[in-house]
Amino acid sequence: MPRAIRGVLIECDPSIKSIIVNIDSVNHDFIIEDLDEERVVVKENMVQLLKQKLEDRLKENLPPVDESGSE
Amino acid sequence: MDAVDVSEHYEVTSIDSPPSLLSIVIDTNPRAWAALDSRLSLAQAISNILVFVNAHLAFSNTNQVAVIAAHVNRAVWLYPTAQKPAAAKDNSGDVQMQDVSAETNNSSSPSANKYPQFAQIESSVFSSIQSLMAETTIQDLDQVTTQLSGALTLALCRINKASQALSSSDTTLSNAAPVNSTAPPPVKGRIVVISVSDSEPSQYIPTMNAVFAAAHNQVAIDTIALAGDSTFLQQACFNTNGIFLKASNPQGLLTYLMFGLIPDTEARESIITPTHDTVDFRTACFCHGKVVDTGFVCSVCLSIFCEPPENAECLTCGTVLALGNYGAKPAVVPRKKKKKKKIVNGSGREETGSATGTPKP
Amino acid sequence: MSNNPSLHLAEYLERLPGTTFKKLYQQPSTAFAIFRRMLPHLAKTFVMRMLFMPHPMTLNDLDVWVKPEAKRKKDQSLSILRGLHIVQISAPSKEKPQEIQLMSNFKRSLRLALTGGGNHNSFGVPSSLLIPPEIDLPFLDRYARKKWEDVLHFVVSSVGYKSVGDGSGPNKGVKELLIAGRLVDRRPNGGLGITQAGFTFLLQEANAQVWTLLLLWLDVLGNNKGSGLDPVDMLSFLFMLASLELGRAYDTNALTEERRNMLPSLVDFGLIYIPQHKRSMFFPTRLATTLTSGGNSLRTISEGVTAATQSAQTSQQSLGPLGGGGGEQQAGSVVIETNYRLYAYTQSALQIAVLALFAKLNMRFPDMVAGRLSRASIRQAINFGITADQIISYLAAHAHEQMHRTAALTNKPVLPPTVVDQIRLWQLENERMKTTSGFLFRDFTDDKDYLDTARFSEEIGVLVWRNDHARMFFANKHEQIKDFLKTRKRAE
Repeated sequence: MPRAIRGVLIECDPSIKSIIVNIDSVNHDFIIEDLDEERVVVKENMVQLLKQKLEDRLKENLPPVDESGSE
Repeated sequence: MDAVDVSEHYEVTSIDSPPSLLSIVIDTNPRAWAALDSRLSLAQAISNILVFVNAHLAFSNTNQVAVIAAHVNRAVWLYPTAQKPAAAKDNSGDVQMQDVSAETNNSSSPSANKYPQFAQIESSVFSSIQSLMAETTIQDLDQVTTQLSGALTLALCRINKASQALSSSDTTLSNAAPVNSTAPPPVKGRIVVISVSDSEPSQYIPTMNAVFAAAHNQVAIDTIALAGDSTFLQQACFNTNGIFLKASNPQGLLTYLMFGLIPDTEARESIITPTHDTVDFRTACFCHGKVVDTGFVCSVCLSIFCEPPENAECLTCGTVLALGNYGAKPAVVPRKKKKKKKIVNGSGREETGSATGTPKP
Repeated sequence: MSNNPSLHLAEYLERLPGTTFKKLYQQPSTAFAIFRRMLPHLAKTFVMRMLFMPHPMTLNDLDVWVKPEAKRKKDQSLSILRGLHIVQISAPSKEKPQEIQLMSNFKRSLRLALTGGGNHNSFGVPSSLLIPPEIDLPFLDRYARKKWEDVLHFVVSSVGYKSVGDGSGPNKGVKELLIAGRLVDRRPNGGLGITQAGFTFLLQEANAQVWTLLLLWLDVLGNNKGSGLDPVDMLSFLFMLASLELGRAYDTNALTEERRNMLPSLVDFGLIYIPQHKRSMFFPTRLATTLTSGGNSLRTISEGVTAATQSAQTSQQSLGPLGGGGGEQQAGSVVIETNYRLYAYTQSALQIAVLALFAKLNMRFPDMVAGRLSRASIRQAINFGITADQIISYLAAHAHEQMHRTAALTNKPVLPPTVVDQIRLWQLENERMKTTSGFLFRDFTDDKDYLDTARFSEEIGVLVWRNDHARMFFANKHEQIKDFLKTRKRAE
C-alpha cells in the first residue's frame, strides 16, 4: 500500500541544495527525502528554521551592504 | 535569473474576466408567432428567454443584458427601456415627484423570493412587449418579415457604448489612445437572435453590414430559428463564429437556449459548439434584392447585380463597366488536318507549333 | 478555534462536510452566491447546461462537449464542482459508465433562483416602513467606509506607527475578534502588535479583506458553543445579504432570532446599518452587496459599468454611483518613478501607514507624502511577511490616474518594469528556494498502481513532481488521491 508523507517540496539551484544537505548533515533532522539535484522534501515544521540557517550561511558570503541613502 | 525575467509579470492586470454583454434580439413578427402559438406561445417564449437572461446574469455581477424586439417595421428596445422624457417642468418639484411615483410603482412590493435585478428586468420586458403589441396596427400584420438589421445595429451600438464607457473609465483620453484591434475588447459582446420568420431579401445589405461590423468587433452572433427560413442569419453566424440552431421542436426553447447557447465567447474556447453543416451562401442582388445564384459583379466595388445595370453603370460606385465578351459563343474553326510526319529518330509525337519541343518532365 | 484560520472562502468551504452543503443549498440565495463567486467560468457553463436536464448524463458525454485542448480545464472544473458538492459522480464500475448529475438541493435552489418563486424568502424581506430621507447611498457609503477604516486603522496602528486618525477605534468585540484571529497579537509589553497574517490582511484587496474578517467571525463565533450561533446559518445569512439591493430597507422582524443576534456584529463590521430610532429595519451597505462579486468590484470596473448603465436605467437601484466621497479609497493616488521615488497624493492616515510598511517616507505635505523604495525598506517588509507580489499589486491597484494615462498613451505597463523587477529581486535575495507544501507519495508496489495514481493526480491538477524511475511523486493535495486509492482497493 503506498504511503503518503506530509512534507514540503523545496526546489532550488543545485548550489543552494548542496548547502541544505550540508546543514542537514549535522543532525539529519530536516530532510525527509532527497529527490534529485534540485529538489528535496523537508519536514514541514523545520522549514522556517532551515530558511533561517540558509540565510545565515548566505549572509556570510554577501559583500558588505552599501546603503548610500543619497537623494 | 529566470524567476524574474518573465515579461508577463510586468502587466499587473485584474484577474477578473471582463464583463459580458448579452444582447437578445427577438423577432416579434405577430403573424409568425400566431402560427407558432399552438406549440409555443409568445408569452411562454418570453418566460424561457428571461430564464436564459437570468442565467447569463448569474455568471457574474458585472454581466449585463439588453433585449431588443425586431418588429415588422421598426426595432424597439425592450430592456433597458429608454428614459421617459422629462415632463414639462412647471415647478421644480414636478419632475421629481413623477420619478418617485414611477419608482414606487415599479418596486412597490419586490418579492423576497426573487433576486431583485431579475424582477426588474422581467417587469420591464413584459410591459414593453405589451405596449409594443398594443401599438401594432392591422397593416403590420400583413408583413411576413422583420427589421432584423435595425435590431442588430441597435445591439451593436449598445455593445460599443458599453466598451467605450468601460475603457474610458480607466483613462480619460479615450480619443488619443491608439486603437488596438487585436487587443481583447473591454466588454465581451454577444448577440443572440431568436428568429421566427423568413429573411427579407431587401434587407440583405444592411444586415450584412451589421454582420461585418460585428465580426470586426469580435461580437459573435448566435441564432436560434424556431420557424421560417433564415438564410442571412446562417451566413451571419458563420461569419462571426456564432452558433446556429434550427429548432425542430419549439417547445423545447429553454433547452435549446440553456444547452446550446449558454457558452459565451470565453467558454467557446473550451467547448465544442453545435454548428450548421450546410450554410446557404447565396446572396441577394443589390438592384432588386432578389436572391441569386449567379450574377454580375462590379470589378471595382464588388457589388452584385442580377442583370447588367442600365448604362452599364454600377449602382454603388458609379464606374462604367464594360461587359466584355459575355454570352459570346466561341467560334468554331474547322481544324486543319496535319500530316503526321514520320520521324526516324525520335518519338512519334506530333509537330507542335513552337520551335522548341515540350520539355520532358 | 482551528490552528490555521482559513483566510480564504474557498479553503473554508472545501473543509465543510457534504451534509453542511446539503443544508446550505436549501436556500436559493446561497446556491446563487456560491455559483457566482466560487466557480471558474467553464464550471459555470457546465452547471447551467445540466441545470434543466431531467436525467443524469454520462461522463463520456461531458468529454464530448469539450475540445481536446481544454481537457485540463475540464478536469479542474469537475474537481472543484465535486469539492463544493454541487455535482455527484457515480463510482466507476464495470456495468454502467460513470454518470454525473447536479445534486438535487443545489439544482432545485438554483432553478428557483433563476425563475423566481417558492416561499423561501431567501432574498430578503423588504421593510414596508418609510425610509428616512437622510439615509441615502452616499450616507451608507460613508458609514461603511468609516467602520471599515476604523478596523484597518486598528490593525495598522498596532505596527507601531502613530496613526493620526480619530481616537475611537472599532468596537471592543471587533478588537477581540482580530486578536482571536491572530491578525494582531498581545505583545509581552502589554501592547498590541501585528502578525504576519495581519500584514497579508492589510494588503489584500477590499473584497478579500471583508471575507477574511467574516471568515474569522464564522470560525470564532460559530465554533463557540456559548454564542448559540450556527456557522451554517451564519454563512447562509451572509449569502443572503450579498443578494440584497443597496439602498433598500429590509425588515428585521422577518429574520429568525438567531439571525437577529448576528446583526450587532455585522453592524460593527460596517456591513449593515440600523438606524437608531427605527430598529426594525436594516440597510445593507456596499460592503455587503458586493460580497459575491469578484475582487475588483469595489473599484473601477463597477464605476465603468454604472456609468454605462446609469443613463439607461430608470430607477436608481442596485447600481448607484459610488458617490463623490468614493474618491479617497477607490481612486489611485500613488505615483512611482523609475528612480524608485514614490509620491502619494492622499491624506488618508491609513494609506500612509500602509505605504510606510514597505517604503521609506521622508517628506510629508498637507496633501501628499513622498519617499522612496529601497532595498532596506523592501527587505524590512519581506521580513514582516509581506510578499513582493502583494506590494506590487497594491501599487498597481492604487496607481495614480496619471500613471494609467501615460501607460495607455505610450502603450507601456502601468508600473515601471525596472521597479517591479527590482522589488522581486530584492525578495528573491531572501528566497533562494521555492517551497510547496504537500505530500510525497511512494512505496508503490507495482508500476501500474504508480502510473495510474500519478496520472490521476496530474489530471486533477495537483501533481507537482514525479519520478517514474523511483516510483515517487509529490502532490499538493491528498484528499482526492486518498479517495482514488481507496476506491481502487475496493474495486480489486
